[in-house]
This record gives sequence, structure tokens and C-alpha cells, in this order.
Amino acid sequence: MDYQVILVENNRLMLERLSSVIRGTSGFSLAARYQQAGDALGQSAMFKPNIILLDIDEKGNLGLVPEFASAFPGAAILCISSHWDAKESDQIAQAGAKGYLVKPFSSEELTEAVQTFSKSGMAQGSEVLAFFSPKGKSGKTTLIANLAMSLAARSGEPVGIIDADLQFGDMAVFFNLEPKSTIVEATRDVKFLSPITLNPYFMAVPEAENIRVLCGTKKPEFAEMVEIAPFEDLVRMAQSLFRYVLIDLPPGFNPISVASAELADTTYVVAMVGGGFEVLHMKRALDVFKAWPDYEQRVKTIFTRVSPCTEKERELLEQELGYPVSSIIPNEYLLVSAAANSGRMAVDVQPDTPLSKNINRLSKDIMGRRIQWGAP
Amino acid sequence: MEEQGRRGNVITVFSTASAVGKTLVAINMAAELARLGYRVCLVDLDLQFGDVCNYLHLVPERTIADAQQAAASNAEAFDAMQFLDVYKCDEISFSVMAAPLRIDEAYNMSASAVQHILQRLQFRFDFVVADTTSAFSEMNLMIMDMSTIITFLGIVDFIPTIKNMKIGCDTIRSLGYENGKIRLVLNRSNSKTKIDLEDVENILGEPFYHVLPNDFGAAWDATMAGVPLVRNADTALARDLRALVARYTNLEVADESSQNNGMSWFKRIFN
Repeated sequence: MDYQVILVENNRLMLERLSSVIRGTSGFSLAARYQQAGDALGQSAMFKPNIILLDIDEKGNLGLVPEFASAFPGAAILCISSHWDAKESDQIAQAGAKGYLVKPFSSEELTEAVQTFSKSGMAQGSEVLAFFSPKGKSGKTTLIANLAMSLAARSGEPVGIIDADLQFGDMAVFFNLEPKSTIVEATRDVKFLSPITLNPYFMAVPEAENIRVLCGTKKPEFAEMVEIAPFEDLVRMAQSLFRYVLIDLPPGFNPISVASAELADTTYVVAMVGGGFEVLHMKRALDVFKAWPDYEQRVKTIFTRVSPCTEKERELLEQELGYPVSSIIPNEYLLVSAAANSGRMAVDVQPDTPLSKNINRLSKDIMGRRIQWGAP
Repeated sequence: MEEQGRRGNVITVFSTASAVGKTLVAINMAAELARLGYRVCLVDLDLQFGDVCNYLHLVPERTIADAQQAAASNAEAFDAMQFLDVYKCDEISFSVMAAPLRIDEAYNMSASAVQHILQRLQFRFDFVVADTTSAFSEMNLMIMDMSTIITFLGIVDFIPTIKNMKIGCDTIRSLGYENGKIRLVLNRSNSKTKIDLEDVENILGEPFYHVLPNDFGAAWDATMAGVPLVRNADTALARDLRALVARYTNLEVADESSQNNGMSWFKRIFN
């Protein structure tokens, strides 16, 4: 059966325009339309709607979202607005709306919006996790790719990866993707985008339907084209699409890694054991993050290629570092490199290895933390 | 007034994959050049997380950040030599310009200021060897432009590394340098991997200029002891590092007698 759509739009011309789009979209029927939200609230029940498109540019309509939500529990409320606004988007998600659509929209955008948001709704309380490493070769791309697989499988919620290692991002190689669009195009276009139109810039991962990846630049010189302000907008917008947004950062402190860490709910400082000076580098990096008053909550540390990967070893690293070590990841070089060479993930290929177990434990921690925060 | 006269060589050790052994190779190049009798300054341009002083067990009193500050406050009186540490081990001795002590200092270093400092050093040294980070940053492009030779270091471990090496190679080539300026050096050629050296050379479109053997143990011991490997020629890695430097200084045959001849020939050029 077609989706039964209620359209609420104050502007008479826009009302006509959107009506004809809805009528022309296969799978959608325009059940009723109103210029006043109050009319829609009082009269729509007659039509048993399953989608309500509510214009929130009209003053006062945003405040009515909770009333719509309780009056029509079987309907998805999608707010429509002439522009996308990160703050507003957060508010409407909290108020109980499922999604957000920029008007005027096309049939494709309407269909895409309903498909995207009907799965999970607009991600509420979406978490941004940034992965910082003092130096390169920290094992963090391996960690992020596997963690994303684990988070997506265990939570059943959408996970987005942003490869912000602008010059030498490896995420596309790890997932064996051939990106049609990258972070360069996404940041270039972001001011014209909404979550729905941003979504296709992320590549789907064939092996994991809950994961989408925004790949890094194709050539190092394109890195310069990624500006910080649009990048920040992009991350905020991605929060409407994904319950978890994982950002892979270039090594060291640079404008993009600093901006990401500022935005992130949690910044993981990741280093690989083996060079001899990794604890020293991690200390130096932590000293910078200590400028934040709440750094103990926001900054976590992970060591990779820890051998032997035992609790005792974790405690030793913790002592040496003088800061809690959240997770240690064992050395499974051959497994990881064989998996990466074939575009698959170790947690997927061999779920029973110590590597998979430790990554699953980390994803459980991340999910557990969320539930705790959600509690009143 | 700008200083006039002969300017020494700049050798940059660069890579686009991380942890390929840049610092190890840079230190050993500096040490070997010093052992051969050249005046050498090793500059740590991994400004935020540089390991040169860690490897050499040096505790620097002044760093490149202090040099930048001094040059900015009084350009006339600025003397880059006052901001160097000296590393000594047996007969080997070379100068070191250390990376900043604090990250905020590192973050605020400008490429043009560093260029100015390095140009000053070029008047005082036969070789300035620069250790870098793995990125095409403004700083690294500056040092590559200044360089006599760029040692582009790679390893063959897994696909992402090779992808980044290929991208790095193509990007460096697009900078328009003469072919002889860029030298592809492969580190750890025998490390455990299923990827063939020849395949990598095909991907990169040129053979490696020099190949260093994998000897993690020797490298680790030298790092922990804070001494350059090339002090003794008792490991294959040390011998190949010496051979690499010999090729750079045109001392193709690395036996003692020809080294001495070569040295005096080279000394004529510099003195």
C-alpha cells in the first residue's frame, strides 16, 4: 500500500509545488494537505496517515512536533524547511520527529528520506568518536574499520565513518570501495545539502549494510580543498544519519584533527606499541588535551599491537603513561593485513580471535556508556 | 645582508607511509657522513613528535623553535649555530637541530622561518640532513624544494602502505624535480609479507635505487643504545646504510682506500 502523506505547508505556492511532487512519487499518496498546523493536528486522524510532512519554517510549528508525535504514534513526522540547521535538527529529533527534509524536494529525495529515516529514525544523541594518533602507523584505521563492524552488528544502528586523514586516508582500501564522491565533494557541497542529500556521498559497504563510509581524498593535493568550517557542518549533519560517527584523523595536531577533537564526544588517542617512544608521544599529546577542563571524560587512550595483550600489560602501560588506558588491541598483523589486502575485516573473518574480542569489548563499552547517559 | 658563498647539500628523508624508518635512516646517514669526515647537521623536522633526540639520547637545551624566535626578534644578530646540540660517539660527531620541546611551539612554526634557518646552516655544513613527517605539508614541500637529494623511503608490508607509496611517488613526480633528485629507497626488504618486490616496482613505475635489508633486531638495539648503526659495519643493515651513503657521495666502492681518496676529492669541493 502507498504511504499516506499529510502535508503541512503555509506558503500557498510551495504547498502546490510539494503536493505535485508527492502525487508524482510512486508509492506515495497525498491524503490531505493543510496550510495551518492546527488544522492538521485536529483533522488528520481521519486519513490514517503514516507520514506527516511538517513545515517548521512557520513560527510555532516546531513546538507542535511533540503533539503531532503523540497524536499520531503510527506516523513518521518529517520536518521540512528551506534550509538545514544543525541546532534545529537536534531539537526536532528530541521532540520526536523522525527526519528532516529540505524543501522544495524531488521525488527521489522524498523516497530516499523515507527509506533512510524509516530504518532508524534520525539518529538521536548521535555520538562522534574521533581517532587521533600522535604519529602515523598507529593501527587506528584497522581499529576504526573493525570497531565500526562491531558497533553496527551489535547495536543494529547505523554507523558512519568519515576518513579525514586527508592526504593518505586508507579507509577506501580497507573496505575495498571505489568512491564516487569523497570528503572533498561533501565539504564543497555541504551548504546546499541536508542529511538526506548528504547520505549518498557516503559509500555503502557491501559486507555491512549498517555502515557507510565517506572516503578520503583521491590525491594528496586535494586535501587543501577541505576547509574546516564546512567540515564541521558535515560532521554535525552526519550526526542526523548515524548513531555513531567515527572520524579517522591524520597524525599529529593540525587544523582538521584539532577541529574534530573539539567536536567529538570522545577522542581516542591511539598509538602502536613497538617504536619505543609511543608512551612518550602519547604523554605529549595528552598534555595538549589537558587544556580542556573535562579532558578526563572526553579523552581516552588505546594502544594497539600490544603483546602480550593482557590486563597486566594494560596496567603497566597505564602506569607508564600516568593516564587510564581504555583499551589494548593485540598484534594480529597477519590476520589484519590478510583481511585488509582482501577488503574484509578481521572481526568479520575471524570473530573468535583476541583481536575481535577486544574490539567487541570496546564497542560494548561505547554502547554501554550511551545507555547510561540516556538514563534520567 | 644575505650571506654569500658556498651552500652545502640538503638531504631530505621523506616517506608517505609512516613508520618506515625515516628517523633511523636520517640518523645513520648523518652519522656515516660525519664518519667520512664531513661537517653534518641533522635537523628534526618532525616538529610535533620528532624522535631524533630520543634515538640519540640527547636532551636538547635549545631547539629549532628557539632559533625561530631568535631570528624573528633580531634577524641581524641571528646565528643558527647557537641553536645546535652536538652528538658524539667514538670518532663520529655531528650537530643536531632538535624539534621543539612543546607541541604548541611546533604547531606555530612557519615553513618560511624554517627555510631561513636551514639556509643559514647550509653555509656552515657540508650536509644538512632533514628528518620529516609523512605528509605533503607546506613545511615538507619547502624542504623538498631546498633539497639536493630526496630519499623517498618505502616499505613493502600491506596494500594500504603501497597505495600511499604510489600516491606519494606520483605526487613527488608532479612537483617537477629532476629525476636524479628523488631516490627511491626500500627499507626492510625481507620483512614478512606476501607482496613481491617486483610487483611494487611495477606499480611505482621505477626500480628502487637502493634496498636496505630487514634487521629489526639491530635497528632496535642501536635505538635503545642511542648509537648509530653505521658506527660498526658488523650488520648487513649497517653495511647497506654505509653503501647508500657511499652512493650519495659518489664513493661507489666502499673499501677503505677508495673512501679516503674520495674523501679528499670531496673535501676539495667543499673547502
